[in-house]
Amino acid sequence: MTEASLSSQPIKTGTTLSKLKTREQVTGYLFVLPAFVIILVFGLFPIGYSFYMSLFNWRVTKGAFIGDANYMLIFGSWTNFLITVAGIALIIASFWLWNDAFKSVSQRQQIAKILAAIVFIVGGVIFVTGWGQMFETGNQSFLKSLIITLYYALGTVPAEVILGMILAFMLYQDIIGKDVFRMIYFLPYVTPSVTSAVVFQIIFSLRETSIANVVLGWFGISPQKWRFEPRPLLNLLGLNLSGFLAGPSLALVTIMLYGIWSFVGYNSVIFLAGLGNIPKETYEAAEIDGATKVQMFRHITMPLLSPTTFYLTLIGFIGTFKAFNHIFVLWTPSARDTVVTASVLIFDNFYKANQYGVATAQAIVLFMVILGLTLAQNKLMGERVFYG
Amino acid sequence: MDKATSNPVSTVSNRAKRSPFYYVGKVLIYATLIGGALIFIFPFFWMISSSLMTLGETLTRQLVPKVPQWVNYMDAWNQAKFSKYFMNSVLVTLGTLAGLLITSILAGYAFGRIDFKGKNIIFGLFLATMMIPESVTLIPNYLMISGKILPLPGQSWLNTYWALTVPFIANAFSIFLLRQFFAQVPNELWDAARIDGADHLRFLIQVVLPISKAPIMTVLLFGFTGSWNAFQWPLLATTKDTWRPIMVGLWSFVQEAGPQTHLLMAGAVISLVPILVIYFLTQKQFTQGIATTGLKG
Repeated sequence: MTEASLSSQPIKTGTTLSKLKTREQVTGYLFVLPAFVIILVFGLFPIGYSFYMSLFNWRVTKGAFIGDANYMLIFGSWTNFLITVAGIALIIASFWLWNDAFKSVSQRQQIAKILAAIVFIVGGVIFVTGWGQMFETGNQSFLKSLIITLYYALGTVPAEVILGMILAFMLYQDIIGKDVFRMIYFLPYVTPSVTSAVVFQIIFSLRETSIANVVLGWFGISPQKWRFEPRPLLNLLGLNLSGFLAGPSLALVTIMLYGIWSFVGYNSVIFLAGLGNIPKETYEAAEIDGATKVQMFRHITMPLLSPTTFYLTLIGFIGTFKAFNHIFVLWTPSARDTVVTASVLIFDNFYKANQYGVATAQAIVLFMVILGLTLAQNKLMGERVFYG
Repeated sequence: MDKATSNPVSTVSNRAKRSPFYYVGKVLIYATLIGGALIFIFPFFWMISSSLMTLGETLTRQLVPKVPQWVNYMDAWNQAKFSKYFMNSVLVTLGTLAGLLITSILAGYAFGRIDFKGKNIIFGLFLATMMIPESVTLIPNYLMISGKILPLPGQSWLNTYWALTVPFIANAFSIFLLRQFFAQVPNELWDAARIDGADHLRFLIQVVLPISKAPIMTVLLFGFTGSWNAFQWPLLATTKDTWRPIMVGLWSFVQEAGPQTHLLMAGAVISLVPILVIYFLTQKQFTQGIATTGLKG
């Protein structure tokens, strides 16, 4: 743009033009410089330095170069790691095949479906094998923290997105005092996590007189230990599952409730903006065709909101995998490691145990997991998103 | 979102015959909204109510205090040192915001309106930092401010003002937000300004900034909440209470002071007041700012 307007001015000769261009360049660099210095020093350089640190036996001070040993502490061996990754890759490939199946003609569709199922099963088996071996020979507490992070993500993000959508849809109706409602629901999002955690600590305390236990009492349920309870919720409900299927501990469920309370308002504000962008002619046309409200919600609102849903799910997952404050401030020793997500564990390894090398290696792995998750979601969900 | 364009769904149903279902639906919606709102607001009510109780009352879990103990706030403010933490947070937040405004306005303008070599690469690098979990950058940054990687003026920045502000005076998100807006400023304005002999800096200050109040407000609001609510980093960077900000102060009060719920809640309310004031004053811009950032992503 600028170049075009520059050349349209007749007085400029070649030399002054290039002079002007150089000045433009210099101004650009000077303007970016302050931000660049800060982001380079505190945002970019530390990534490389973290990786560098992860290659050393680094406690408080730098020790010997040990190569991939810190990573081997996590995975046990490269073979385990590669088997696990191959399993994940096959699972993703099977989803891709499955999606592809619906695009092709009938004959190939059947084959592709069967193929997808086979690939999925094979991938699943390989993944479970690799993961099992890692769990035996690698760092159990870190691998477990990844599972807990996954519980936390699966227990909060879908609930936040669904509740946020319902809330936004209700607030979008002809409602008296919708501004007040919106303000109330949004309030937890702006509240500092330490402040709200302090209140949640007391609401969900293990005393019989705590608010949470009083509410349980109304339904005739005996008092619980809430964030002090390391036993899985499902076990408390009488289902005797173990391992991954046993699900999150009641302590983690308490933190999930807290997370949902914090983020529903944010999601509904974004959904409200999305709803505002749907042209009302669409609804009018549908009404003339005799669509019911439920049909309109199902066939107009939901597809047209799908980019918003996708965005919120994506940043929700990234956010929960990075989450620290919400979990750290509600963590008590009694809950043991059942609420220790990856970022909390990394912080602990660094801050309390002074294992800098181990902690940086774990942080790099966490980053890779987040990156992989983002790419996979982009691939799998991104294709189903309907961009008006 | 505005009154004029609002509610396609209800406009449609207004014209339709109102069946009994319409009213049942309305009642259900109100019941759900009010019920949910009560749950959402209860922790705030409980915080304020407990902050006015005596210690004994907090143990028996009454809903409201018999006589409001305003003295709790005095005690939290003076004895529990919340005055110091509060002032620390105010200074840190102001410093961060001042720096953040300068760096992100300049960089946002450059990325949005100036052509220079390597612009897209630098911008891409900036954006990449938004995806990096703090766990990765935390440890090197801690070593850095302890003066173990780079020589810093004054050896170590632990327990200093600099450690809490300098790393946060630029972030990719604010730059991205402003760039989007600055890039949309019509080129005719720039052409006119240049004919009057203005350079980029003057154009930025005299023309662009006055019409960019909304995005700048968004940057300020996000910067404010981010800085005021900061916890993980200040926890590392302050080992003494010289520069301990309010969130770390509140947290260490939980760890150190034992079950003094009434003072703790008073401290929690104190830590919340600035956020509440800003939020209530700028409610419209706040939610709109968040909505626009959401849709851009």
